[in-house]
Amino acid sequence: MHTDLAPAPGSTTIEIALKIWRYDAVTGDKELKRYEVEAPDWVTLLDVLDIIKDKHDGTLAYRKSCRMMICGSCGMRMDGAAVLACKTRMYDIAKSGHVPVIAPMGNLPVRKDLVVDMEPFWNKIRRMKPWLDPGYEEPPEKEWRVSQEKMNVIHKEALCIMCGCCVSECNSMESDPEFFGPAALAKGMRFVGDARDQANVSRLEDYNDEHGIWDCTRCYFCNERCPKGVDPRDAIAKLGAESIKEGIEHDMGAKHANWFVTSARTTGWLRETELVPKTQGIVEAIRQTKFALNLAKHGKVPSPVPPHVAERVNESRLLYSLVKEQGRDGALGIVQGEHALGRIEFTEQAGLKANDPEVQPVVEPPPAEG
Amino acid sequence: MKRVAYYKGCLASLSAKELDSSTQALAPKVGLELVELETVTCCGAGDIHEAEPDYYLHLNARILAYAEAAGCDELLTVCNVCTLNLRQANWQLKNDDGLRERVSNNLERVGVPPYSGNVEVRHLLWEIAEGEGYELLKQSAHKGLKGLKIAPFYGCQILRPSKLLGFEDPDRPWSLERIIEACGGTAIDYPAKIKCCGFPIIQAREETALGELIQPIEQAKEAGADAIVTPCPLCHLSLDAWQSKLKESTGKDFAMPILHLSQLVGVAAGLEEAELKFKRHVVPVTPVLEKLEV
Repeated sequence: MHTDLAPAPGSTTIEIALKIWRYDAVTGDKELKRYEVEAPDWVTLLDVLDIIKDKHDGTLAYRKSCRMMICGSCGMRMDGAAVLACKTRMYDIAKSGHVPVIAPMGNLPVRKDLVVDMEPFWNKIRRMKPWLDPGYEEPPEKEWRVSQEKMNVIHKEALCIMCGCCVSECNSMESDPEFFGPAALAKGMRFVGDARDQANVSRLEDYNDEHGIWDCTRCYFCNERCPKGVDPRDAIAKLGAESIKEGIEHDMGAKHANWFVTSARTTGWLRETELVPKTQGIVEAIRQTKFALNLAKHGKVPSPVPPHVAERVNESRLLYSLVKEQGRDGALGIVQGEHALGRIEFTEQAGLKANDPEVQPVVEPPPAEG
Repeated sequence: MKRVAYYKGCLASLSAKELDSSTQALAPKVGLELVELETVTCCGAGDIHEAEPDYYLHLNARILAYAEAAGCDELLTVCNVCTLNLRQANWQLKNDDGLRERVSNNLERVGVPPYSGNVEVRHLLWEIAEGEGYELLKQSAHKGLKGLKIAPFYGCQILRPSKLLGFEDPDRPWSLERIIEACGGTAIDYPAKIKCCGFPIIQAREETALGELIQPIEQAKEAGADAIVTPCPLCHLSLDAWQSKLKESTGKDFAMPILHLSQLVGVAAGLEEAELKFKRHVVPVTPVLEKLEV
């Protein structure tokens, strides 16, 4: 343990105050308890918890292992946002005088204090069949080599350490606890996109479940929270794109997405009024008549005739044909933009605030090739 | 006057015309000269990004190219989803020369001007929350909101992912509150103000979506809000039009008026019904207007 966290030469100590939600699942007792500790100025949230447990209150429960952002054990909430405790430096927060509230992650049952029951999380990961299905029983005589270009497709998804931070604030999962969620679906994409896997179509059919790909509400909390740059929402979009590429389009979510493509190709603008029957089917659309009539009273159901057509819409039609010829279908269309997205971490312009204690530099993935 | 290309997007062109008319009327009061783009199309709303991502990139490049060709270095948006889609594509095009070259060549092949990467995409909210826009807003909002309690609802895609949006802290945003206060209203605080309204899946997964939609409406109601204001027409549509479905499923009639950002500021700046078009709302705005009359 770390009872002797000696300041490094030249460093100083700081006073750190925290409030921690203590919880006992057996008795149901819940209390927001304040702790104040003196610690070296370089400590992380996890170091502070260690000091509290070692010197102040041995009953505090939390998970940890590697202390270096690899094992994914110490996910918890600070001021409502899921973080890895071992990645969160305390200096700026303590100096600002702010007393953060530490709580367990959301969307998972709490066992004690900051420890959540990860079983529902693992069940969803297992549901993805997270192993390679190479399509043969006997291994080939020689090793098969996969090009860097092909591995780039799943580079980000492969960075996942399964900490659960993305799941913690998933808005769809709050509403539908059975939603597979960002971590499991990103894991699914890690195999669907793997050039060595031969089960991609059956995987996609499975992930098109009622609680699968199209249950994602695009709130982007997962991308915001992920401490490793996996961008699970982008992985879910890749699964959607791969499904449509493979002709798996029976889900209302896929039909909804396809209608936007049709609209852009034909009139340029969304053909709003036709979106409901094209997504839900005629029968359901008729069932919704009463609702639609109420909307129509307020001009919310614009007449499809005459259609609202963009000028020079032929350009968007021609672009569609051109793009299809060039064949960057499916996940590749998203992967091609990741090289540029990877650069964001190093700029001021894109939301990195030098004085924001919650923002930490992220290791940039190697540039994508091809 | 700051000359900006105006991208109204699908909803403000059709079912949310009140957003377009109030934005057009408000713009000169906050120092914006809007250049309308007739040739542009839908940004894909995240759906084309998911269905045909390469086509999504090209459609957005085409929008940016026409803004650039109109001599504007800024594209003004009034929708969260348009903002994220355009900013994401723009970032990719600006920071990957190879990608921009290929897309730009394709644009030229079908008769669109090439895109050289010199346009910034910004939401109206950001224009009036700070700087000159904010100063002009304070001057324009002479009629005020008489202390009305307004619940800010940000929606998702103007906050997250912050690396692509980056205007403010996505967990502790301040821009809407600042605008509400500048207009003489009182900003209500509640946890769901940064969460999802459920709109992207309201047709494909209505039950999941309604479970999200109820949170801001219920919390704003409990906090005593007279109305909710949002910078996104998709949030507006679900909060306003789908509120009746919450009544069906929960028996609760929230009767919570929902205002577009441009309408909230517009009311404070003395715009008329012809521009504000409150009659186009499903949930009546009358209680708010009555409080302002007194």
